Amino acid sequence: MDPLRLLAVDGRLIGEAPIGLDETLRLFAAMVTARVYDRKGSALQRQGRLATYAQFEGQEAAQIGSAVALRPDDWMAGTYRDAAAMWFHGYTWDKLLLGRMGDERGGAPPAGVNVLPPSITVGGHMIHAVGLGWAERLRGSDRIAITYFGDGATSEGDFHEAMNFAAVFKTPTVFLCENNGWAISMPRARQTSSETIAQKADAYGMPGVLVDGNDLLAMVAATREAVDRARAGGGPTLIEALTYRMAPHTTTDDAGRYRAGEDVEEWRTQDPIERVREYLKGAGAWNQAWEDDVSAKAAADIEAAVERAESLTPLSPDAMFDRMYARPTAVLEAQRRAVFRDEGGGA
Amino acid sequence: MARALNEALDVALGNDDRVVLLGEDVGSTGGVFRITDGLLERHGPSRVFDTPVAESGIVGAAFGMAVAGLRPVAELQFLGFSYPAFDQIVSHVGRIRNRSNHRFTAPLVIRIPYGGGIGAAEHHSESNEAIYAHTPGVKVVVPSSPTDAKGLLLAAIADPDPVIFLEPIRLYRAVKEEVPEGHYTVPIGAARVVGEGTDVTLISYGAMMRDVIWAADVLATDGIAAEVIDLRTLAPLDHDAISRSAAKTGRVVVAVEAHRSGSLASEVAAIVQERALYSMLAPVERVTGYDTVVPLKRSEKHYIPGVGRIVAAARRALEA
Amino acid sequence: MALEFLLPDIGEGLTEATVVRWLAAVGETVRLDQPIVELETDKAVIEIPAPRAGVVLHHGASAGATVPVDALLVVIGEAGESWVGGGTPAPSPRREARAEAAPIVGTLEEAEPSAQAQPRALPLVRRLAASLGVDIAGVNGTGPGGRITRADVEGAVIAGGDVERVRLSPTRIAISKNLTRSWQEIPHVTTYATADPTAILRARSVGGTMVPLEALLIAAIVPVLQRHPAFNATLDGDTLIVRKHYDLGFAVDTPDGLMVAVVRGADGMTVTEMAGEVRRLAAAARDRSITIDEMRGATFTVSNIGAVGGGYGTPIIPYGTTAILSVGRAVDRAVVRDGVVVVGKEMPLSLSYDHRVIDGAAGRAFMAAVVAAIEEAG
Repeated sequence: MDPLRLLAVDGRLIGEAPIGLDETLRLFAAMVTARVYDRKGSALQRQGRLATYAQFEGQEAAQIGSAVALRPDDWMAGTYRDAAAMWFHGYTWDKLLLGRMGDERGGAPPAGVNVLPPSITVGGHMIHAVGLGWAERLRGSDRIAITYFGDGATSEGDFHEAMNFAAVFKTPTVFLCENNGWAISMPRARQTSSETIAQKADAYGMPGVLVDGNDLLAMVAATREAVDRARAGGGPTLIEALTYRMAPHTTTDDAGRYRAGEDVEEWRTQDPIERVREYLKGAGAWNQAWEDDVSAKAAADIEAAVERAESLTPLSPDAMFDRMYARPTAVLEAQRRAVFRDEGGGA
Repeated sequence: MARALNEALDVALGNDDRVVLLGEDVGSTGGVFRITDGLLERHGPSRVFDTPVAESGIVGAAFGMAVAGLRPVAELQFLGFSYPAFDQIVSHVGRIRNRSNHRFTAPLVIRIPYGGGIGAAEHHSESNEAIYAHTPGVKVVVPSSPTDAKGLLLAAIADPDPVIFLEPIRLYRAVKEEVPEGHYTVPIGAARVVGEGTDVTLISYGAMMRDVIWAADVLATDGIAAEVIDLRTLAPLDHDAISRSAAKTGRVVVAVEAHRSGSLASEVAAIVQERALYSMLAPVERVTGYDTVVPLKRSEKHYIPGVGRIVAAARRALEA
Repeated sequence: MALEFLLPDIGEGLTEATVVRWLAAVGETVRLDQPIVELETDKAVIEIPAPRAGVVLHHGASAGATVPVDALLVVIGEAGESWVGGGTPAPSPRREARAEAAPIVGTLEEAEPSAQAQPRALPLVRRLAASLGVDIAGVNGTGPGGRITRADVEGAVIAGGDVERVRLSPTRIAISKNLTRSWQEIPHVTTYATADPTAILRARSVGGTMVPLEALLIAAIVPVLQRHPAFNATLDGDTLIVRKHYDLGFAVDTPDGLMVAVVRGADGMTVTEMAGEVRRLAAAARDRSITIDEMRGATFTVSNIGAVGGGYGTPIIPYGTTAILSVGRAVDRAVVRDGVVVVGKEMPLSLSYDHRVIDGAAGRAFMAAVVAAIEEAG
């Protein structure tokens, strides 16, 4: 299988561009913004203001290039590493930050944004995208569901069950695997003996597509095709986006223990943002001042979101009782009273 | 009871087109216990789905459907086969409301036949429902009569929160009674006083209720008036009903066919001593299975508590 | 306002980190999130980004030093600002984010279920009642929340048969508490003597009016107390507080029990004044108009039990004093005088004293002096 590629590593267009320059500029700005957020997330963690942060540096094209193919009301079920895709699809920096700060209010995206809060358990959420798409079909709507997951998740039993259900029931589900080469310290080659993950689709009876995940244009083209197929009733597709996790697994991981620095440097030459920048430069559509403005605005917006998230009224000690059921049960109410009796009211 | 459950599903499918059924063999075969018999024919293939053999997939897909706004009723064939789906239940079904601060919810029902006494193979007689009762965010319900079965299932389907609906296998065909027609519900979270008494309280749920009621009759022949309580909901338990009866009689026997340690019987005993200690005249008697794997057919009767053990426990409580 | 940034736990359970090298020197201007220091933890070497833009005013530790979590790592402030250690810190962003939760009004504890048909008693207590043949429903509970205790059940047994339970009056309860305390804490020794009361009894009728015996006794005893200061004192731990004032208490028998009224400054009173005061206080005690102050603070007490027919006794020392004298009724006795048995009057005296402070010799000496004073009175 050769991966679909429309933009060469040096930024030359080698296929047909699925989007015009204006749209490309818009997506480029989004990728730059996302990277500003990613850097901020790491910095906040180092300053003790986020518990743990999972960097997505290097995967901006894979996430934004695919998310743009969705309709605003389409469903998205992703992982803790998919902040760029989630934000692009409407999740807000505020909520993403709150989630990383350990505040459950971060799990509620704005109304109309059908993005589930990120799944922490690996692989359990793909089947959710199957059920979501299936339900939309049964209700007669043409909304689809996309699910993001990594190469590691394809080893979980739930991946098999999700793929199987999706193909058997022909649900409008797009399976988007960001193969970033690593599952913490386990390299892709030892995660599965398949040559590619995309070819596994064949075993389930659905199309599988291999894409250069660092090529924004290829991601847009491939995802659009899969989304259109699903929306038209053609069933699910598996897309494998080849990319690389430039940073460690999370801020508590020391990647130097298991991978060579040379690999990372090699992949840096394939940076997705740089590639689009070169493409835009070649088309005369880019200048430094404009990109600086984009970066500055991103920094200001994100800084404001951090400020808002950090100054939100703290949750009261008994907030946990209100989130379990539509109405707390009598048993929970009795337990809630014990919180105040035993902890002396609000400390 | 099987017919009552079938009726409940039929009524639900007819009343609310958000309701869908899914599970192994629920469609064309009508379910291995025939609980879903005829429903595919009556409501069509866009309401009733036969799925591949994949318990985790069944619950995960039902979860996605529920989040999207449907009211799925998923079936797992036996409690002993629910374990692959345990992750979906604990990690997602019970958590999504909390995780999303009410933004996303999962109003689904998972129907699971449970309990032994049918001489089936290994894994077909499990009664470790305590595991699910110990899971925040889900409710666990178990009827012991056809009337309660229909009403509780309709209540579960209407509940905005996920409900695990346990069906006592050995009562499917063994209990028959007239059941109200049409739609009605039995409240979730409320135990039922089956018979009033003053001398000793007998508490149980599900298939054990038959033996407990029988035990009450045996005790009555000795002039002992037993109060019988059917818990009906295991999570959340009806603390008020339990402690009210314990305070009234001062003697409690709780009978479950589950493993002894960490069972719902243990939880009932904890509630009794917390809310009614000063009224107790004897320790709470737990009549339970054992902390062993449920034995196969030939030894099953030594494991599942019968009327004899319940009566003996009640007498011990009265002599204390 | 300078930001004093403390090292946060950035490694899921980090307790300390070592400074590898500073990337921004003191005095250097830094941007927000610019890396300012390299730290080594047990997992990796990491860079810490500046939590605010500004000028580095202070390094919390030098290269090679170990910094514990929550210790000062760096101070960043404005250009030209000086920072002196120990000032009021501006909280680090993390601290601010951890502001206290808004106070919540607590909710009331759930009441016990109302259908408590059985009286409240622990199972153990019920079993005890059953074994003792006590009907627990009829036992009054004195435990927490009216719970019936073991002692309540045992008390019901002692009471046994036809009984009437009489609750003590508050006065009696107070007296009872005081006596219990005295009895438990003070090692009592009581010594006895007799005095010839002839003189003192004659002194009672003076000028037509009857002088209360208590007044004469007090007048006689005060000089003795002045010579035996340990008997007019209070023991406070291991210090004896010898009192230079003489507030003599005397016992008054009232329907509610024995009360002690106090004649203040008895050393400065004439007998007539003392008599008047004794009369006044006794009347006040009997009609309950006596004040707390008039009953408090006796430095020595005289108890005329002879007035109610008493002889010898074992008086209990009022708490806060070291001795008490009980005076019984004078009676005719066969006495030996000059080798001949004659009829003589004897007034029995009982002196209880605090043996921690007063030993036998001192007690006997005091008693002898009291006897002498009584026999010379008038």
